[in-house]
Amino acid sequence: MKFTQSIKLLLIIFIANICESFLSPYLIKAFINLPITFLFFSMFLYKSKTNINPFYIFLIGLFVDIISDAPFGLNSALFCLMAYLINSYSNTFKLFSFFQICLFFSVSSFFYIGITQIFMNLENFSYAVLLISLIFNTVLFITISLLRINVMAIFKT
Amino acid sequence: MSRVTPTSGLRILYLISFLMSLSLIYVDIKYKPFEGIKNSYKSFLISSTYILKNITVEPFKYLYDVTKDKSTLRNEIRVLRTELDNIKISNFLISNDSKFFSNDELIKKILKLNNINKPFHIAKIKYFDLEKYYCCSKHRIIIKSLDQNNINFVGNPVINETGIIGQVIFENIASEVMLLTDTEHVIPVYSKDHYCNASGSGKPGVISCTFSKLLWQNGVEIGQKYFSSGMGGIYPKGILIGEVIDIKEIDNKTVKFDIGLIANPINSNILGVLGTK
Repeated sequence: MKFTQSIKLLLIIFIANICESFLSPYLIKAFINLPITFLFFSMFLYKSKTNINPFYIFLIGLFVDIISDAPFGLNSALFCLMAYLINSYSNTFKLFSFFQICLFFSVSSFFYIGITQIFMNLENFSYAVLLISLIFNTVLFITISLLRINVMAIFKT
Repeated sequence: MSRVTPTSGLRILYLISFLMSLSLIYVDIKYKPFEGIKNSYKSFLISSTYILKNITVEPFKYLYDVTKDKSTLRNEIRVLRTELDNIKISNFLISNDSKFFSNDELIKKILKLNNINKPFHIAKIKYFDLEKYYCCSKHRIIIKSLDQNNINFVGNPVINETGIIGQVIFENIASEVMLLTDTEHVIPVYSKDHYCNASGSGKPGVISCTFSKLLWQNGVEIGQKYFSSGMGGIYPKGILIGEVIDIKEIDNKTVKFDIGLIANPINSNILGVLGTK
């Protein structure tokens, strides 16, 4: 990975984290948790044409831990797991439909929210937040992908 | 070109990174050695935001103020608003002065200590992670004292116009305040002759107490008011903390009840740090 690309990624993650911290207080009132930083990172991994070094992913995770005030290593561990999954199934994803990919990412975010809740909010662990977030994220991803397909179709014609 | 699935060598690297992350989580939760790094980052964030704001926004704001006839009036409003916040905190103290300061000597000592005519130091919220406040167990705010003197506030209670909101736990360029609702926080409270240690629940505006029916048969009822007991020496005695909003029986012997706090940290940007030391 090139140096400029790394800086770009860190900057994107930083901005995504700021957006997340602005949106979360409003969304959580409706029992919704949208892990924007994690999703941006997952999307980066999914779109990447090469496999990224696990140590580099580990360091990005530490960076996210610092900026999001999470326990050190939490995001690193989850990012490493996600990177391993995406890299392992990168070729299988090509056989998947948009709907299946959306489902994969929403289930990933479901696990991400669940695990972060266990470490950061065990006293008030909420199944409502988990389930509503799963439904919300699935609908959101499907909407985004449908919009993307439709917009591309408009430009093609 | 297709991506290569991780080879066995790469899998080992993934495993090592994952295990390193797990060990870091364990060390951080158990011993908290990285708090300094996190606080330094927060301080850096606050300072850089301040500098950036001074460089980018403030000159335009100043130019706008200069060009407008109402700039003087606007400044006056700003000063008056700060004064109003001060008065609100003062009123809270005055209405509870006998509880905050048990004797005149202590008041005199504090007044001398502060070198001002108020028994508290005015501070402003610099960073409040609302995301963590609503979602997680860690409820902290970063405040900066408006006082020019470098006073160590660690351990001192923090109030706003609605009541006690927490205590200072860390001091660097700014001060970190642990709110009453933080799960690591405990405040001794009492109601009539029932004393208990109320710990933060992790939910905004709620703290919880647990007691054994074998030790306390009278029980509690919804709406019962709880006050700070003054035990532990951090918080002054007799300040209304909140009232019981929920009672749960955990088992045959143990009862847990929630106290809804009257103080809300979101109410105002201006806070008072009591100079009890």
